[in-house]
Amino acid sequence: MLLLTALSAAGQQAQTVLMVDAGYASVHDSYLTPITYDGLDLGLSIEATRWTRFAPERWLWQLSVGADYNYVENPAQNNDLHKLMGDIAFGMQRAWMGVMHPRLGLSVGPMAQVRAGIVYDAVNSNNPVTVRAHANLGATGMAWFGTHLWRLPVTLRYQLQLPVAGVFFAPEYDESYYEIYLGNHKHLAHLGWWGNRLDMTHYLGADLHLGKTTLRLGYRTRMEHWTVSHLHVHDVTHAVVLGVSL
Amino acid sequence: MFKLFELSFMKHGAYCLALIGVLLGCVGCAEQDEFQHDQVGNFEALWTIIDEHYSFFDYKQVDWQQVHNRYRALVANDMTDRELFDVCGDMLKELRDGHTNLIASHDVSRYWIWEQWPVNYDERLIDEHYLNFDYKMASGIKYQILPQNFGYMYYGSFSSSIGEGNLDLILSYLSTADGLIIDVRNNGGGLLTNVETLVSRFIDGRTLAGYIRHKTGPGHNDLSDPYPYYFEPTRNHLHYLKPVVVLANRGSFSATNNFVSIMKGLGQVTVVGDTTGGGCGLPFTSELPNGWRVRFSSCPIMDPQGRLTEFGVAPDVRVDLDPDDRTHDALLDTAIRLLTAATAQ
Repeated sequence: MLLLTALSAAGQQAQTVLMVDAGYASVHDSYLTPITYDGLDLGLSIEATRWTRFAPERWLWQLSVGADYNYVENPAQNNDLHKLMGDIAFGMQRAWMGVMHPRLGLSVGPMAQVRAGIVYDAVNSNNPVTVRAHANLGATGMAWFGTHLWRLPVTLRYQLQLPVAGVFFAPEYDESYYEIYLGNHKHLAHLGWWGNRLDMTHYLGADLHLGKTTLRLGYRTRMEHWTVSHLHVHDVTHAVVLGVSL
Repeated sequence: MFKLFELSFMKHGAYCLALIGVLLGCVGCAEQDEFQHDQVGNFEALWTIIDEHYSFFDYKQVDWQQVHNRYRALVANDMTDRELFDVCGDMLKELRDGHTNLIASHDVSRYWIWEQWPVNYDERLIDEHYLNFDYKMASGIKYQILPQNFGYMYYGSFSSSIGEGNLDLILSYLSTADGLIIDVRNNGGGLLTNVETLVSRFIDGRTLAGYIRHKTGPGHNDLSDPYPYYFEPTRNHLHYLKPVVVLANRGSFSATNNFVSIMKGLGQVTVVGDTTGGGCGLPFTSELPNGWRVRFSSCPIMDPQGRLTEFGVAPDVRVDLDPDDRTHDALLDTAIRLLTAATAQ
């Protein structure tokens, strides 16, 4: 997290944080099953935030790379799904400091995101796995507030990542991956927009500045929803985030 | 100036918050099938899954709504799981489909009609009277050269993956034979990729293997256009282009049915025995709220002539085993006779 208030005062220009997410996941993928599964969400990511060279303290960029794994179970508790995803997101944001309050900062700007992975159901016959892949352009924005917890500098931050449009992969309704393997690649790529696809990630947390090290404690929720070719995907995670600056 | 920006930002911020609220609302409206987790709910879930995903309603002339009406009357929330399972299993049998099963912890419902047909295969008879218990085995294939100098391969399951190297060694061993018998009787199917691996050794050019379709939506007739698919000869591996006889019976099901349908179209191949067991729908799996799994035919695969082979592939030469003759396999004898005639020409 770019601690614009605190970092600027300290003369710092960049921050990289390694984060671990752990929490709850809900996965609904009608290609595999009409039943919604839920269970464990685990994630590992690195987030780098920098002031730009051309306009420090006005424009910043943010790069995040991560992977997350969901181990979810059906309500009957006799089957599970494994979901493994990786993603990379890059955003540029215009920042305003001291807006409405001297210690409040706001930023907003465009972002690009690529996210891909698989969902696997070991007991299905010819539909045991489905591939998830999408590339999006969207917007991201942050609000942060510098304060103190007793004498410890703390930055509170909220961030929203909101893809707007892009392309994503999906087979047709009951199209087998065997048919795709045989060479039928029609209707696999879809234009995604808010009419058929909606992703969003919210993060809310606090960075505790312990000298040169920052500890992060937060909450992240990610929602992924799409409907195409009569298939429905609706995934949600809620996770506690623990992080440390590198 | 700053205040103007501040006001503008606050105004836009309100819009943003409203937008996020709308988007969150959209997410909450995710379209999902919701079924009650009781006996009626599980029955309705099963019926709906089949209704929306099964691909042969028209081909088999099944009135699924009428089936629902008959079987729904038999379901009540106070029935036991076993009672519900039996009703659901009977309902699925209306589809006359060996690929359709209801799978629970205590049972698997099935329509294995081939159990009622003549077996036409006796492994012990072949081992004793044709192979003299002397044969090789690799990649799930039993093979040997018969005294008449014809190769014999028995492949019992397309689930047994065939290694290209193993196949080279098998065909190399059999290469001196004047003809080859491929026995796929009682082969209940497996991986279609193994069909391609095996067929690719018996073709010398790009070959139309068939057509595949899939459901494009929940309607009974929501099917994609048939997609033609081709097999290529395996490069840098041995091929066998001498006369071949394929032995099949009613137990040759699913991927084996597909294998026979493709081999039958090759010029040097003759199919001997009984009609295959059928099963030309690539099965998908789904599940009910109570955790039972249901497997069903989803993607129809057609033969190179564009015909569905759901009820089997007819042989070129129809032969039955004589159940009273414990020393002769009439199908194998016919194959030897056909190969003898073919190689004499």
